[in-house]
Amino acid sequence: MVRYLAVRSVQAAAIVFLVATLTFVLLHLAPGDPVIASTESTLVRREVIEQQRRNFGLDRPIHVQYLRYLRNLSRGDLGYSFRERRSVWHAVRERIPNTLLLATAALLVMFGLGMLIGAVQAAVPRSRADDALSILTLAVYSMPVFWLGLMLMLVFGLGLGWFPVGGAVDQVLYPHMSLLGKVGDRAVHLFLPALTLGLVGAAVTARYQRAAMLDVIRQDFVRTARAKGLSERTVFLKHALRNALLPIVTLFGLTFPLLLSGAVLIESVFAWPGMGKFAVDALHGRDYNVVTGTAIIAAAMVVLGNLLADLLYRVVDPRTRESS
Amino acid sequence: MTEALRRFLAQRRARLGLALVGVLCVMALAAPWLTSHDPTAQLDLVHGRLLPPSAAHPFGTDDLSRDLFSRVLYGARISLTIAVFSVLVSVGIGTAVGLMAGLAGGVVDTLLMRSVDAALAIPRVFLLLVVLALWENVGVAGLIAILGLTSWLDASRIVRAEVLSLKARAFMAAARALGFGSHRLALRHLLPNVAAPVIVAATLGIGQIVLVEAGLSYLGIGVPPPTPSWGSIIADGQRQLAAAPWMATIPGVAIAVTVVGFSLLGDGLRDALDPRTR
Amino acid sequence: MKRPNPHLLASVCAVVGISAACAPEPTCTGDWCGTAVVVAFTEADALLPPVVRNDVGQSIADLLFLKLADVGPELNTVDPSTFVPELAESWTFEDDRTITFTLHPEARWQDGTPVTADDVVFTYEVYRDSLVASNARPRILHIESVTARDSRTVVFRFPKPYAEQFFDAVNHLRIIPRHLLGTVPRADLVAHPFGRNPVGNGPFRFVQWRAGESIELVADSTFFLGRPGLRRIIWRVAGDPSTAVTQLLAGEADALNYIPPDAVERVAESEHLQVVDYPSTYYSYVAFNLRDPDDHSRPHPLFRDRSLRRALSMAVNREQLVQAVDGETGIVARGPVTPAFWIWDEEYELLPFDSAQARRQLTQVGWQDADGDGVLDRGGRRLAFDLLVPITSASRRRAAQVIQEQLKRLGVEVSINELDFGAFRERGEAHRFDMFFGSYGGDPSPATIAEVWTGDGSGNYGSYVNQTVDRLVRDALDARDVATARAKWRQAVNLIVQDAPAIWTSVVAMRAGVHQRFENVSLRGDNWAATLWEWRVPPDRQIDRDRFTITN
Repeated sequence: MVRYLAVRSVQAAAIVFLVATLTFVLLHLAPGDPVIASTESTLVRREVIEQQRRNFGLDRPIHVQYLRYLRNLSRGDLGYSFRERRSVWHAVRERIPNTLLLATAALLVMFGLGMLIGAVQAAVPRSRADDALSILTLAVYSMPVFWLGLMLMLVFGLGLGWFPVGGAVDQVLYPHMSLLGKVGDRAVHLFLPALTLGLVGAAVTARYQRAAMLDVIRQDFVRTARAKGLSERTVFLKHALRNALLPIVTLFGLTFPLLLSGAVLIESVFAWPGMGKFAVDALHGRDYNVVTGTAIIAAAMVVLGNLLADLLYRVVDPRTRESS
Repeated sequence: MTEALRRFLAQRRARLGLALVGVLCVMALAAPWLTSHDPTAQLDLVHGRLLPPSAAHPFGTDDLSRDLFSRVLYGARISLTIAVFSVLVSVGIGTAVGLMAGLAGGVVDTLLMRSVDAALAIPRVFLLLVVLALWENVGVAGLIAILGLTSWLDASRIVRAEVLSLKARAFMAAARALGFGSHRLALRHLLPNVAAPVIVAATLGIGQIVLVEAGLSYLGIGVPPPTPSWGSIIADGQRQLAAAPWMATIPGVAIAVTVVGFSLLGDGLRDALDPRTR
Repeated sequence: MKRPNPHLLASVCAVVGISAACAPEPTCTGDWCGTAVVVAFTEADALLPPVVRNDVGQSIADLLFLKLADVGPELNTVDPSTFVPELAESWTFEDDRTITFTLHPEARWQDGTPVTADDVVFTYEVYRDSLVASNARPRILHIESVTARDSRTVVFRFPKPYAEQFFDAVNHLRIIPRHLLGTVPRADLVAHPFGRNPVGNGPFRFVQWRAGESIELVADSTFFLGRPGLRRIIWRVAGDPSTAVTQLLAGEADALNYIPPDAVERVAESEHLQVVDYPSTYYSYVAFNLRDPDDHSRPHPLFRDRSLRRALSMAVNREQLVQAVDGETGIVARGPVTPAFWIWDEEYELLPFDSAQARRQLTQVGWQDADGDGVLDRGGRRLAFDLLVPITSASRRRAAQVIQEQLKRLGVEVSINELDFGAFRERGEAHRFDMFFGSYGGDPSPATIAEVWTGDGSGNYGSYVNQTVDRLVRDALDARDVATARAKWRQAVNLIVQDAPAIWTSVVAMRAGVHQRFENVSLRGDNWAATLWEWRVPPDRQIDRDRFTITN
C-alpha cells in the first residue's frame, strides 16, 4: 500500500508538471501577450508597449521564459501576475476559499440529491415515479449550465428578490455584520450558484446511480442473495446499494473536473470571485503566470480527487485488488 | 437482431426517444423545405427586429431581424452535425484506449491512464479555451476535431473500468481457460459487454457536446457568424432576455429536447442490447 | 419592472427577530451619508496613476490622485480659462513657452504631509521615465522641463508654443507622493505594493481591495476643495455587461457608466433607476488596410483603390446599422470625431448611403460577377475579405454582421473573424488584416485624430497616408488661435472622410444607469467618474447602505 501510494504520488507530480508545461507552451504560442491584451486604449504608442514587454521579460525567447518559470516553480513560486501586479500566489490565495466553498456546496447538492433520486428510482423501476424522476433529471441535465443559472437568477434573484444576483458577500454591510449575520449573508449568496452547479451534477449522479443499481440487481450474486431467501429490502440495501457505489466512486473522481468546468461558467454568471472566473479573465488577458498557476492548482486538486477515488475504489471493490 | 429491435420497440420511452431524435433529424435535413426564409437574411433592421412569434415568423425574429424559425432549423443542422461527429470521434478513440488499457494492463495501462489523468486534470471548458485561443475561425470541422479529441477521456475510463470488472468475472476466466487469445477475447466477449456502457456514454456524450458547444458560445467562441448554431442563438438571446425572451428560450428548449431524445434513445438501446438482460 | 424585494436574509432575520444580529443600527444621518456602489465590467489593475493601464483603474485612481487642473465640462482643450483648478490654485503664462503654477496651500497627502512643488517635479520625472513605461509618456514629451521655484511654485517650460500646451501640462500628470515613492527604483514602480494600497491627495481615501470583488474608498471629510458629497464609494466587479446590468436592476449596484444598448429599456423601466445620457468621445470604425497584410511593403490588392473603399462605404446603410446596434438614440459617426470634441461642428461632411451609386462605381472599376457565383470578381480575384472583430464587444460583433449582410447584397463576401482582445490588438499592431473593427475614444483632445489617421500615428493600423491631411493636422496642432485650429481640423477631417480609409459606423451612445436617490449627478464625456465626488444623497432619500458608518 505504501509503495502504491509512493508510485501514485510520483505520477501525480508528473501529471502536474505536464499540465504546467502544456499550459505554458500553448499560452505562449497563442497570439497576444499580457501587455497588448491589457492595453485598452489604441492611443498607447508602440515604443511604450515594447518597453512594458521588456519590463516583464516578455521579449525573451520562450525557452528562456520557460526555464525561468520552472526555476521559480521549483522554489514553490508561481510567478508574478501581470494584471494584478503581485505574486500569483497572493492573488490566488484570496480566491481559493470562494471556489472551494462553491465546489463543496455543489458537491453536497450533487451527491446528496443525486444519489437519493437515483436510489428511489432504482427501488421502484419502471414505475410512474421512476418515469417522472427520469424525465425531470433528464430535463435538468439537458439544460446548459449557464442557462440554468441565468434562469434561476432571473426568477429568484431579479423576479422574486429572494437571493442576491452576484458576488460572495454583501459588499457594503458584510464588514459590519455579526458572526451569525456573516454566515447568513454567505449562505444567501452561495445558494443560487451552488444550486445551479449542483443540480446538473445531481442529474448525472441520479442517472448513474439508477443504472448502476439496476445493473447490480440483475447480477448473479444478487440473484444468489435473493435465492438464499434474503428479503428484498436487505438485498436492495446491503448488496445492490453497496455494489452500485462502484461506478459512483468512479464518478466522484470524474466529477471534480466537471465541477471545475462548471465553476468556470457559473462563476462568470454570478460574478463569483473564485478561481474559475479569475482563470478565464486571465486567459483573455493573457496573464500567463495566472493561467498556468491556476491550471497547476486545479490539476493538483483533480489529481488528488482521482487518487482518492482510486483508493475508495479499492476499498469498495475487492475484485480490483488482485488485478493491480 | 430482430429480437433486440423488438425489445427496443417494446419500451415506451425508447419509442419516444426515437421519435424525438427522428423528428429532429428530419427537420434538420428538410430545413430548406420547411421554411422559405434564409437563416442569415436580415429582413428589416428598422421595423423587423425582435418581433414576437407570429404566423409569418413562428419563432419571431432576432436582434438583427432574422427569422428565428429558420435559424433554429438550420442551427439544428450545425449543432447536430458537430455533436454527432464529435461523439463518433471521441467514442472511437475512448473505446480503443479503454480496451487497450484494460486488456493489456501493466505498463501500458499505467501510461495510458496517467495520460488520461493529466488531460482530465485540466477542466474541460478551460482546456478548450486554451486550445481554441490558438485557432482563429475554427469552423465546424475544426470544432468537431477539437471537441472530439478532448472528449474521449471519460469514455476510455468507463470502458477500462468495465473491462477490469469483466476480467475478474467468471465467464472471462472460463473463456481464457478455453484458450481464447486476447484479440478474440476483446472482440467476441468484451466488446458486446462493453457496448452497453459505451452506448450510455455516447448518448450522454451527444448531449454533453451540444451543451459544451453552447457554453463555448456563451464565452464567445464557436462557429463564425452569421452561421447559426443553437449555442450562438442563445448567446445572442441572452442579451435580449427581457426584450425578447423567446430568442434564448427556443434554442434552449431545442437543446433540452435533443439531449432528452438522445438519452432516451440510448437507454432504450442499452436495455435492448445488453447481453446481461438476455 | 418592480422594485426588488428585500433579500431572503432580511426576511429570515425579521422572522427570527434577530435583526440586530443581521444588520447593525444605522449610525449615519443627515447630509454626507451617501454610499455609491459602482459596478464595472472589469477589475482595476493598479491604483498608482503612472502605471495604471485599464480604464477602471484610471477612473478609481482619479478619485485618489488629483491633477494640477482638469479640463472643464465643455472639454475645451485649448482655452486655459475653461480649466478647473485642482492642486494648482492658479497659473500664469510668464511667456508663450512658460507656465507657472501655484499650488493650493491646503493641499495635503492623506498621511498629513503637504503637497509640494517637489512632488510635481517627481511626478513628471516618473511619467517621463522610459523604465516606468507609462501609457501617458508620449503625451508629455512636448514638455521641455518641469522645475520647482519654491515649495508651492512649479514652472513648466515648452520648446515652442502650441494650442494645447496647457492641456498637455495638466491633463496627463496625476501628482504622486515623492516622500513615499521617491526612493523606489523606477523599474519596480509597476509592481510596487503602493499600487494596491495607495495614499493619495484627492477627495477619497483608499480603504480596502477585495480581489475579484470590490475596491472601497471613503471620503476625506477635510478635503481642501470641499467636502465630497458621497461618504463612500464601492467599486464592484461584475465580469461582463449582462451581469453588471443585472446587479444594477437588482439594486445591488447604484451606478453603471455604460449600459449596453439592449438593456437601456429595462433600466429605464425600473422605477429605482434613472438613465443619464452624457457626451461620448468614442466612435467605432471599420478600418481598411491599405497595405498588403502579408507583405507590408506592398499596397493592399483591393483596398489601395480609393474608389473601391468609397463604394464599400456608400454601400453600408449606417442609419439602419446604428439603429439596429445602438438603438433609437444612436448617432452615425461622420468621421473620426464626435460631438463631444470642441472642434465638432455640423458642417462635417459624410459619405452618403447610396447603394446604386456604390454598385455603379464597382462596375466602373471592373468588378463584375463573371462566374455567376454571387460574388463580384475582377481578373480572377473575388471581392472577398476578412473583417477582424474583438469578441469582447457585443455591439461591434453585431454591427459586423450587418455590414456583412449589406455588402453581400452587392456581391461582396465578408468573412467575420472574431478574436480574443489580445489577439485582435496584436493583429492590428502587426497590420495583419483586411478590415479591422476598432473603437476609439476616452481623450477629449483632437490631437488623438493624429494618432490614428496620420502617417506616423501609432494607432494607424490601416497605414492610411495622405500628405495633405498630415500637413493640415500639423497646422491645426501648431495653431495659436482657436479659430485657425478649428478651420484646419475641419479641412483635415473632411479630407480624411473623402479618402474613406475606414467606414465610420457610430458614435458610441454613452448612457449611464444611476439610482434615483442620487442628486447632482453629472458624467463627463472623457472621464465619466471625474465628477462622481460631487454626487450626493439627500437625507430623506437615504437607503440602508447610506446609513452605515465606517467602523475604522
